[in-house]
Amino acid sequence: MPTVVLMDASLSMTRPVSLEQCSEELQRKNLAVAGLTMLFEHMANNYRLEFTSLVAFSSLWELLVPFTRDYNTLQEALNNLEDYDKTCLESALHGVSNVVQQEWGHACPTQVVLVTDGSLGIGKGSLRHSLQTLKGRPEDKKFPLPFPFPAKLFIMCIANAEELQMTDTMHNLEQLLQLNGGDGQIFTMEGQLCLKSVQSMFGRLIDEVYSPFPAVLRCGNLASDVQVFPRPEPVFLDEEIDPMPRHILTDLEIVGFIEIGDISSPPVMSRHLVLPIAVNKEVDDVGPGTTEEPEEETSANQQAGKIPNFCVLLHGSLKVEGMVALVQLGPEWYGMLYSQADSKKKSNLMMSLFEPGPEPLPWLGKVSQLGPISDAAENPYGEDDSKSPFPLQPKIKRSYAQNVTVWIKASGLQTDVQKILRNARKLPEKTQTFYKELNRLRKAALAFGFWELLKGVAELLERECTLLPDTAHPDAAFQLSHAAKQLKLASTGDSQYAAFDQNINPMHTDFSGGGAGM
Amino acid sequence: MKMFSVSHKTAFVVDHCPYMAESSRQQVECDVLTKSRGQGMIPLAPVSKSLWTCAVECSMEYCRILYDVYPLKKLINYIVSDSEFHILNSWRQEDQSTHELMSALAAVGPPNPQEDPECCSVLHGLVAAVESLCKITEYQHEARTTLMDTADRVANRGRIICLTNAKSDTHVRMLEDCVQETILEQNKMAAGSDRLMSIQQCELVLVHIFPQGEDTLVSDRPKKEVSSLLTSEVHSVRAGRHLATKLNILVQQHFDLASTTITNIPMKEEQHANTSANYDVELLHHRDAHLEFFKSGDLHMAGSTSRDSGLKETVTLKWCTPRTNSVELHYCTGAYRISPTDVNSRPSSCLTNFLLNGRSVLLEQPRKSGSKVISHMLSSHGGEIFLHVLNSTRSTLEDPPSISEGCGGRVTDYRITDFGEFMRENRLTPVPESPDTEASGKPPAERAKAQLERYTRYWPMIISQTTIFNMQAVVPLANLIVKESLSEEDLLTCQKTVYNLVDMERKNDPLPISTVGSRGKGPKRDEQYRIMWNELETLVKTHVAGSERHQRVLDCIIACRSKPPEEEERKKRGRKREDKEDKAEKSINKDSEDKNWQESERLKGALERGKEEQGESEVIKDSPDSPEPLNKKPRLEEIQLPEKAKGPVSLLTMWTNRITVANSRKHQEFAGRISSVNNKAELYQHLKDENGMDVHENGKATR
Repeated sequence: MPTVVLMDASLSMTRPVSLEQCSEELQRKNLAVAGLTMLFEHMANNYRLEFTSLVAFSSLWELLVPFTRDYNTLQEALNNLEDYDKTCLESALHGVSNVVQQEWGHACPTQVVLVTDGSLGIGKGSLRHSLQTLKGRPEDKKFPLPFPFPAKLFIMCIANAEELQMTDTMHNLEQLLQLNGGDGQIFTMEGQLCLKSVQSMFGRLIDEVYSPFPAVLRCGNLASDVQVFPRPEPVFLDEEIDPMPRHILTDLEIVGFIEIGDISSPPVMSRHLVLPIAVNKEVDDVGPGTTEEPEEETSANQQAGKIPNFCVLLHGSLKVEGMVALVQLGPEWYGMLYSQADSKKKSNLMMSLFEPGPEPLPWLGKVSQLGPISDAAENPYGEDDSKSPFPLQPKIKRSYAQNVTVWIKASGLQTDVQKILRNARKLPEKTQTFYKELNRLRKAALAFGFWELLKGVAELLERECTLLPDTAHPDAAFQLSHAAKQLKLASTGDSQYAAFDQNINPMHTDFSGGGAGM
Repeated sequence: MKMFSVSHKTAFVVDHCPYMAESSRQQVECDVLTKSRGQGMIPLAPVSKSLWTCAVECSMEYCRILYDVYPLKKLINYIVSDSEFHILNSWRQEDQSTHELMSALAAVGPPNPQEDPECCSVLHGLVAAVESLCKITEYQHEARTTLMDTADRVANRGRIICLTNAKSDTHVRMLEDCVQETILEQNKMAAGSDRLMSIQQCELVLVHIFPQGEDTLVSDRPKKEVSSLLTSEVHSVRAGRHLATKLNILVQQHFDLASTTITNIPMKEEQHANTSANYDVELLHHRDAHLEFFKSGDLHMAGSTSRDSGLKETVTLKWCTPRTNSVELHYCTGAYRISPTDVNSRPSSCLTNFLLNGRSVLLEQPRKSGSKVISHMLSSHGGEIFLHVLNSTRSTLEDPPSISEGCGGRVTDYRITDFGEFMRENRLTPVPESPDTEASGKPPAERAKAQLERYTRYWPMIISQTTIFNMQAVVPLANLIVKESLSEEDLLTCQKTVYNLVDMERKNDPLPISTVGSRGKGPKRDEQYRIMWNELETLVKTHVAGSERHQRVLDCIIACRSKPPEEEERKKRGRKREDKEDKAEKSINKDSEDKNWQESERLKGALERGKEEQGESEVIKDSPDSPEPLNKKPRLEEIQLPEKAKGPVSLLTMWTNRITVANSRKHQEFAGRISSVNNKAELYQHLKDENGMDVHENGKATR
């Protein structure tokens, strides 16, 4: 989940913070930079796969750093941030929207971290003005929220709540959050504005949004500690009945294995890397690191690299066998583990989450009903792996798989009548097909109450009978007049002849052998 | 769409009054004469459908599309109305099929024009529809029972689609009022009943059908609120093609469908089999399949075209070759069932049959810039065709660290093939729901997990950690012992396996003991067997709790594994260590156990490198820089050679030893050597015997 840091670079950010105990004069901007520095450091150490970009705004906006995992570049840009004029949030949000859409499209969930002092401009271009003029805007001048992609908005205020509540700022920010569908949170500083309080505020953001998701991957007694990246988001199901958010378990238990061909490109809600982690590795403190640290880490990593890990074994076998592991994420919630190859011959263990529910994929059926093959009387995959119990067939075939009759277009009806006539001319060889088509037409005509058609086709058959050449098989004439008679009887609606489930059967004749296969 | 939205229940009310028998005046030529046969023949008069036939076939088309896209949870109740109402099916899921409805419709037949129009009305059907909407569906029932005390949160909404021939706008208003009143009445009744639910929201869609060439007596009206419970809309449509189009639009609106036209489908011509032309096929599906287009706003850019004077929009996607193969796992963000709009046209059936045969097609989004973006895939799963939405934007997970760089990434001897075999054995299969499986307690998925647990009780991850899993001879036992229960035959196979191992040991067959991790040449033969037997015991012990037969396998191993005499001797020597180990062996199923013994085995293996046969060197790699073993005790019973004690035996040493031994046989041994102690013989013993003191003094004197 990429992050956009939207940094207020307006003049009001340079307002000094009054500090009694500190001799050095601090600006709000300094506090903001300190907070973001802490965030970047945390990400570089513990969440380094996150793509982050930095956008600064005042009355204009500028993309300072495009999406990157290079946190030094981000830090550098942040340190060199200059001061500009007034705050204009609306255009900046448009900017964010553009930046994200260009890079990630519209389906990628994004996190927007807005850092501001809470003075959101005056007059035209101010947030207050933007919110007042929300309604009645033309299509091309719509407010950028809600974003066209799923986004969480975190507003980091370099101000305390009381300060914001004195004006209507807090109210405006809350409105902003509502416009985003309520997805996000407003963070304010507690107590005095100082380095400590800004760090505690960013600390809360980190805990909630950027802490790694540790889990244990289990396959029976084999297990591995893993980190799931990005953090799996809670999922809301049918909001009407069950509005509770659902979180994935930290104990990921494998249920069994399925061939890739059988699971067959299933739809997934999100994808996550499953990275094995060493458990006994000391939790490193968040803070300025000494130069020795990375070396220690590498040696620790090398150590961990030599200890056999279940994830690596699983990944290797999944890759070789072309299979996926079905994994349980929670009650009635499943996902799959598989080997995902990068373009550069690198590959990784990946986990995709299915939609929560007892039956996420119709072609597998209910997951709780999937059992070990040893439960089946006979190996469903065959002794030589030549067959598969998947996909499951639906009880009722879909219309396109069952030769339905639709006469909405005249051509549909004409084709069906022609088919009967074509076969009628090839009697008695085509007796079977002739009656099959005839009965199909009869059924549809009866259902649609289209008795006129039955009479019409009966007449056509009678005419065909008169047109039979002298060389024709005598059976042909009998079958044609028999069929015509039956159709006529059906067209009367007489329940004896017009029953839907009844079929017209070929007539028994003495001219057997001629293919009138019964 | 919410589960219990208005679309959960749809009641079709089709007018079956005498006036519906009237002709639609749309004529169909069904006698198409070919040129060669047409001479002098009078073609059959064209047939024309009645209003009833038009209404029925268009409503069936609505149902067909609905059932294709939503085979479950979207229910239809079909009601026919004349002098009374006829309910053709129920809300039950098994009643939901076009075949079921067609059969019931055939039994009803066309309206009887002779019937008295005075006692016939569509009102009977509308009242029945409202009553029916109050009836609880199996899904509502299930949701209510699972929610228990908050059961009232389960909503009851529905839609009534009424196909009729109304007389005037006043007549329409009368119908609306009647529905409104019936809802109020029924809701009162439902309040006092467990089997009924009151209606919270009802959408009435009145479709007035009139014959071609006539003017309509009823005006179109968009949706309006009759009351807080009821909304109503009126569509006035000509019978025939117009009605079909109208209902097609309605089914899309009612069930959030959208249309995609697959273009450039190559198809063999019927007449000229070797040429192919390109065809288009229109499909309906849930509109979320177009979500990306809606959001990006390039719905129109993506080749969307309007047809039927802007009433309907479709997104065009291009057939894409080469096709994809089924073993590729695409990143797919959604899969939606489809229904072809023109189901039995030749292009449609060619496409659907192609897909039903198990092939998949990638679809490309036409872009002005000419860049190729594959955005969708058509694929069938078990006789159902799905439109898959593929992710076509940049991934946030790109360039991750390779698994080989992480934990365990540098280990190279994982049992990849064995785990592959393990996965094949633990593949899943659908188990039909039956009272039997419930009786056995665990649902199948839990049984699958239990099987994984059993199979992994002892499962070394790397080749160098195991001996038994590298031995073909152990396979029969290893495969059987993990089973939940053993048959008498299984037990016999296990026992045979054990006897076979005993036989191998007797014949002194080499074992595939890995030397990775241990230094030097690895353990000697009898030691290898000890390691193997111990490992086998460990494996079997983890399963003894399973059944009495599992225990008997263990008993068999314990009884059969021999403790060779040398081992007994060594045991005496290394008493302490052995004692410890025995204790470890006795403790059952401790996780640390296998590690314990493996390590101690390895240590001992390194100690006992003494006598080696040449055959072993084929199996066990030697390491030239192995250090001197620890605590090596001199062996009294052997001819002790000084070189041997110092470290690894070099080829030269071995050769020299051999030569020495050979030579020694050729001559009489020196008397001194024979009487030597520790290869040292005291010289001039006789002097000591005769005059011990002198020697001593002499010695001193010389210094």
